[in-house]
Amino acid sequence: LDETQVRQDPEVPSAVAAIRTLLEFLKRDQSETILGLRENLTQTIRRLEEADSSVAVSSGGELFLRFISLTSLEHPDLSQCKKVMVERGELFLKKISLSRSKVAKLCHTFIKDGAKILTHSSSRVVLKVLESAAADKKRFTVYVTESQPDSAGQMADKLQNLNIPVTVVLDAAVGYIMEKVDLVIVGAEGVVESGGIINKIGTYQLAVCSKAHNKPFYVVAESFKFVRLYPLNQQDVPERFKYKADTLKAVEDLAEEHPMIDYTPPSLITLLFTDLGVLTPSAVSDELIKLYL
Amino acid sequence: MPGADKETDLTERIEAFLADLKRGGSGTGPLRGSGEMARETTYLLRRITAQARWSSAGDLMEIIRNEGRRMTAAQPSETTVGNMVRRVLKIIREEYARSRGSSEETEQQESLHKLLTAGELSEETFREHFVHLKANVIEAINELLTELDGTTDNIAMQALEHIHSNEVIMTVGRSRTVEAFLKDAARKRKFHVIVAECAPFCQGHEMATGLSKVGIETTVIADAAIFAVMSRVNKVIIGTQTVLANGGLRAVNGTHSVALAARHHSTPLIICAPMFKLSPQVFTTCSLSLNDVNSCFPVLKILSKVNVHCPVFDYVPPELITLFISNIGGNAPSYIYRLMSELYHPEDHKL
Repeated sequence: LDETQVRQDPEVPSAVAAIRTLLEFLKRDQSETILGLRENLTQTIRRLEEADSSVAVSSGGELFLRFISLTSLEHPDLSQCKKVMVERGELFLKKISLSRSKVAKLCHTFIKDGAKILTHSSSRVVLKVLESAAADKKRFTVYVTESQPDSAGQMADKLQNLNIPVTVVLDAAVGYIMEKVDLVIVGAEGVVESGGIINKIGTYQLAVCSKAHNKPFYVVAESFKFVRLYPLNQQDVPERFKYKADTLKAVEDLAEEHPMIDYTPPSLITLLFTDLGVLTPSAVSDELIKLYL
Repeated sequence: MPGADKETDLTERIEAFLADLKRGGSGTGPLRGSGEMARETTYLLRRITAQARWSSAGDLMEIIRNEGRRMTAAQPSETTVGNMVRRVLKIIREEYARSRGSSEETEQQESLHKLLTAGELSEETFREHFVHLKANVIEAINELLTELDGTTDNIAMQALEHIHSNEVIMTVGRSRTVEAFLKDAARKRKFHVIVAECAPFCQGHEMATGLSKVGIETTVIADAAIFAVMSRVNKVIIGTQTVLANGGLRAVNGTHSVALAARHHSTPLIICAPMFKLSPQVFTTCSLSLNDVNSCFPVLKILSKVNVHCPVFDYVPPELITLFISNIGGNAPSYIYRLMSELYHPEDHKL
């Protein structure tokens, strides 16, 4: 059940698929106590992470656990608690399925007519933003990086379907192209406590380049991607996020593998667009504190 | 009928205010400071609350929102009008929540916490009627007015902490807040002020005369000399027209250059701005879209084949600013988002 859910819908972000799986699991769970429930859930989350080791799954899982503990504090009786949990879980899923459109609505006003946008790899949120800007009758051109090792050419195809002029550039050509672009928009796999982001490898380079050329660097992310990590540099990002799940299982010496993600510090980010509003990087930790209050 | 009279009187006042706003922008009407603008707007909003016909908080908010939209459309560059409307809307929300008995804290912002624990997809409709709501709202607006009256004094009170003896302070153009700030410090300390004249209207001259009347040693310099003089300056203290949501500024033309010069010499840049100047707008990359353009008559007399551009405002990014001094104390630019969330409700950001 777990794995099929994860691979099911390509439109759904992996965190949402994870939460949906957990909710299904919750419905079928037989445990008698809340502690037992938590243990089973933690095990399931670990198995989900083995299947797909991205940051988003981990943040979605943690959010769900947090959600369980908050609910269990209010209703000590297990069966009633479960009913409330299932209700709230469904509601939560409904709300976060709307979050991508909320983000798109906030962000597309920042794209002006005639703008040249640079983006990195394939992100469904960025695609939604560009879609709404195009629907708003704005004319703009997009440069997409090729984004090796698993080239994200699909982004270019999708944009062409929307009649947006798009050019694919090499990852190495980012510095070359930066003087032509007006703004940079990227998605995020995870937003960390410092206000920085974890995203496909190459994002850090893009951010440093855009800072050097004084171009605004915008990040679009839904709020369930906020994760309780505080990396100070690239080495601080936990190993289990850096590589794909299969690589982690198969390979002995991880030093020989290429990492799939990198960390971009908050000093390089201009603004973050989330379904909680337009945030400056310093506002992100505030939001996280409010959750774990 | 007394009711109808009150209403026509109200609409007359609103129309007069709107006409005033429009004239103020084109430079023909009386040039008002933003403090006065804020006070006038709040008086008008209080009058609307008292005299307009409404039965529930939702109606009142609709009325105020409509008037607010008309006012901001009349003079888009005067952001204090919109800010006051948003403050009043937030006041109404708070009073409503208080009358209902629920704690205001939890109702406010969107947050991850709310996403997880909220019961139903509840939409706050503000339909309930409370008898004392009108009186409470008017009382709260009166408190807001008292706060507005005291802003310049509150800011000036903090002057002694920031200005020390024998310092050289630079300022740009004319700002009533900065003038009061410097005058307050001059009562106990001796320091030197350099004023950049701020062409083409040269408001720096008025500032300099005002400061020298109180006995402060003042020097007026041309705008082009700002960088040259910056190495001798200890602090730069300026006012601004608006503080944006990301901590940036929309200030008089030439401020960005001053900020860059200050950054180059590692001179602290201090902004004296009362809280009513804080606006939920965020700067978007095209600066011309939020700029008024001035008439260029004072700049060039010969105009046959020459295009003259004379923008009124400048954008200063938050990285160049050291400190904001407002009536509630000193704050870093990265903290502005928090102050904003306390003053305005996110749904009111777009009127």
